[in-house]
Amino acid sequence: MTVTPSLMWSLLIAMAVTNLVFRLGPIALLSRVHLPLPVERWLSFVPASVMAALVATEVLRPGGRWVVPWHNVYLFAALPTALVYWKTKSFLGATVTGMLAFLALRYFLG
Amino acid sequence: MSPQVTDGDRRHPAFVSFVRGMRLGLPVFLGYLPIGAAFGVVAAAAGTGVAAAVSCSALVLAGAGQFIGLQLLKGGAGLATAILATTVINLRYVLFSATMAPHLRETPWYRQVLIAFTLTDETFAINITDSREGLSDDWSKIGVGFVSWVGWTAGTALGAAATALVGDPSRWGVDFALPAMFTALLVAQISEKRYAVVAVVAAASAIAMSTVLPGEWPVIAGAIGAATVGAVMYR
Repeated sequence: MTVTPSLMWSLLIAMAVTNLVFRLGPIALLSRVHLPLPVERWLSFVPASVMAALVATEVLRPGGRWVVPWHNVYLFAALPTALVYWKTKSFLGATVTGMLAFLALRYFLG
Repeated sequence: MSPQVTDGDRRHPAFVSFVRGMRLGLPVFLGYLPIGAAFGVVAAAAGTGVAAAVSCSALVLAGAGQFIGLQLLKGGAGLATAILATTVINLRYVLFSATMAPHLRETPWYRQVLIAFTLTDETFAINITDSREGLSDDWSKIGVGFVSWVGWTAGTALGAAATALVGDPSRWGVDFALPAMFTALLVAQISEKRYAVVAVVAAASAIAMSTVLPGEWPVIAGAIGAATVGAVMYR
């Protein structure tokens, strides 16, 4: 069905408010206090965990579907991407390399 | 401790940091532009009009949340259902915000607002990696957020206004822009063995859970589980 502008505005205002609360709340409150050591230690593992979980699901299950590993363009394109970042420490270089590798692999494999 | 300003470089230190942040955020910009365009196309086609579509991206800045909210409204679900669903999806920002908080102790409130407003999976990943390397400051974080916001909002405007001009963005290889960026960010996280161990646990549990949980939940559940394993193993 049609999503009218006013319906969209109602949703977007609600989302904007809840998002600001979620995003700013912890920063505003927790940056004023010192967290207990175990909590800080737990938080220190969050970035590596999030990144690994994201890469695993996006590369092994692109678009939410299983792809046979030897036909998986995402998986093969991730290898030069990781290598370029490891050698150069450049996010932009690694991202562009990944996209080019992805295009080439899709052309030959896909 | 402001950086030395020599005769050759009269630019304000905050500006230098801001520009550095924008450069750091370029991969996010590359990834957001086409996905933002896709949102603009879908929203305009659903009847929201250009203004509401662009305002949604400019004020909400939430990839999955926006798509799912729009999808639910399009499918005839009520406004309350759409708000509830997007709220649950966007809860993950609480986790990112809490992780950022210890890095923002010295930050004035108005900069905290700017950094929080542009907190997404991608800007979080870039800024937390930069912080761990000791390079990040307030204005570089704001620069990362700004360039990402521009990519997402401009992409939506392009998509909503000029569907025919954009064509099919996937032919430029943009499908892999964000996975590539996360792959690089993952490599950047593995500075010590314990992070490698936790990463393997997170990847394995996210994949295992993706067979039963929908959407982004395997990522959230896998990450929370693996961080807990790490915190218990390496006390």
